[in-house]
Amino acid sequence: MYQYFIRRFLLGLLTLLLITFLVYGLIRLMPGDPLLMKLEAASPDRPVRIEDVERMRAIFGLNDPWYTAYWHWLGNVVRGDFGDSISRPARVIDVISQRIAPTLLLELAALSLTYMLSIPIGLYATARSGKLDERITSTVLYMLYSLPAFVAALFLQIFFAIKLRGTIFELPLFGMTSDNFDRMTFLQQAWDLFQHALLPVLCYTYGSLAYYSRFIRANMQEVVRQDYIRTALAKGVPRGRVLWHHAFRNTLIPLVTMIGLTLPVLLSGSIILEQIFSWPGMGKLFFESIRERDYPTLMGLLLMFSVLTLLGQMLADFLYAVVDPRVTYN
Amino acid sequence: MPDPVLNAEHPNESEHGHGFWYETWRQYRRHRLSLVALVYVGLMALVALFSPAIAGTKPIVCKYKGHIYFPALGYFNMRWENPIFRTDRFRDVYPGNLKEKDPDSWAIWPLVYQDPRRRVREGEWPDQPANPAQDLGQPNRYNWFGTNRAGVDVFAQMVHGTRTALLVGFVSMGIAGAIGVVVGALAGYLGGWVDMLLSRVIEVVMCIPSLVLILALLAVVERPTIWHLMAVLGITNWTGIARLTRGEFIRLREADFVTAARALGVTKFTIMYRHIFRNAMAPVLVPISFGIASAIIIESALSFLGFGAPPPNPSWGTLLNDGRSNMQMWWLIVFPGIAIFITVLAYNLIGEGLQEATDPRLRQSAH
Repeated sequence: MYQYFIRRFLLGLLTLLLITFLVYGLIRLMPGDPLLMKLEAASPDRPVRIEDVERMRAIFGLNDPWYTAYWHWLGNVVRGDFGDSISRPARVIDVISQRIAPTLLLELAALSLTYMLSIPIGLYATARSGKLDERITSTVLYMLYSLPAFVAALFLQIFFAIKLRGTIFELPLFGMTSDNFDRMTFLQQAWDLFQHALLPVLCYTYGSLAYYSRFIRANMQEVVRQDYIRTALAKGVPRGRVLWHHAFRNTLIPLVTMIGLTLPVLLSGSIILEQIFSWPGMGKLFFESIRERDYPTLMGLLLMFSVLTLLGQMLADFLYAVVDPRVTYN
Repeated sequence: MPDPVLNAEHPNESEHGHGFWYETWRQYRRHRLSLVALVYVGLMALVALFSPAIAGTKPIVCKYKGHIYFPALGYFNMRWENPIFRTDRFRDVYPGNLKEKDPDSWAIWPLVYQDPRRRVREGEWPDQPANPAQDLGQPNRYNWFGTNRAGVDVFAQMVHGTRTALLVGFVSMGIAGAIGVVVGALAGYLGGWVDMLLSRVIEVVMCIPSLVLILALLAVVERPTIWHLMAVLGITNWTGIARLTRGEFIRLREADFVTAARALGVTKFTIMYRHIFRNAMAPVLVPISFGIASAIIIESALSFLGFGAPPPNPSWGTLLNDGRSNMQMWWLIVFPGIAIFITVLAYNLIGEGLQEATDPRLRQSAH
């Protein structure tokens, strides 16, 4: 089995090389010059001096053809240097690490909420399968699953930030903190953060909640039909105990592997949701650096996402083999 | 599932068999919601097809200076509107000009006199006031879904936006389906190093965040149109289909009827197309149906972010984008939001119905 994973790992490296190479080319092919954009933004009234641009182009290596620049970038990355951001006066690694915490905050909150809610809902749906209340719950969840997150975000914003303005239920429209955050006490800060995070977390949660509880229910329904469940029921084990002990434990296998697949999601954030809520996380950074053509930051982010995606897939396969002794990789 | 009672009455029925598609349809029909969803998509197609006849300011048919014209076709393509109306200086306002320039003219008008691209002004249409502009355009008698800041009717924009939503789904998933099926079929049937290579390609495309790929590809085009967007969505969305097709081909490659065909000397590509693909077709429709839903989401999300269809093409996402900068104008968000939601729901339900109709495991569990 270890051989299998070593081979997977090496293949993964190859894939990574291919991805970064292709994306580097794609990014450099995008029209628009990051330096011109930056200099124009810095001093709109003064015409951009050609010498300035040329000097900076040389510094950032924009004069080389993209495949040469790619090798240069790759060499630096291997040595642990991700370069400097073009549009911000900081190193790429610092720019990215600043954005990790806000995204992680949202994603972790949403993920734990999802797990905490979807397991009971999934079990409940199995227990009351076919009954009216279960059908209603499932239908509502299915509808939620089809509601695009950004539409939901806009609806929530209209309702909580515009319609309820002035009442105690008013929630901030966007941002992560209020303007006077620095002058607050710790408790006030926590409350402020909570208020700002509430709507985004809600938007992150509801879709996956629907997905996970359906997933759990589908797995449970497969297990419930097994012979050993009938045996347990025939021997007089209480229904609840059968569901929890005999059935649910066996549905944990696919659930555990899902954890591996959520790894990249934890850090990548949602571009559109962070944009709507102006949440200073990875998704927003990503969107901004596409707009500003900030090649080094974009490449740093992409490298991170791809590594996490590949690692997540490997982790999922690995967990699968650990949890389920029937699975072997030979 | 063949019905035993039916078979007893018509003993020949089971010998003939029903064919794969009939069986799938029979299974599909049992899901009432999926049927409703199918009807909804059909209605949407009708709305898209007849959008200029539902809401517009150009006559569907008119007789002008002795000739019959169809100016409403101009909403589909600018060039389909006869140039005579431009040379006669109609300036897009038909009702008054028609009568003034040719008293003998007649015209059949759309159901709602509103335009998706411009504001309707005072006196254009008998007894209809000018559209309210700024943030005053709440839903009213003449503007059912309100108007935006420029005074353009939201209902008309949504009706014409149906075209975009429908086209985006079908065209992009058509492209994605073609790429996915070919790649998946080659990888699954040929196996070996072809499979190895194509699987890497699939993995690479899957790993690149789709929005980057989409934005980067769109940025390469000088002036992206809605067709470019559809092509890009197709080029980026095929991996799921390819993986599923590959799995189906690997499964069916070893089937007896394929071995039989091979023994008869049928060529590889005939086997792939005639013997395997036709059997794998229905399962492949499932990710395509879900893919249409996600293509619609992505298109409206891109339009919402300002990367979507350029202005003359009305899109539901563009309306949302309008609404985002004018939050107190709730009608700019609520109506298109609901339209996107219901459409996505419909395609998901169709996908669900197909999945249950084509997956024999689920079919048995339904009993």
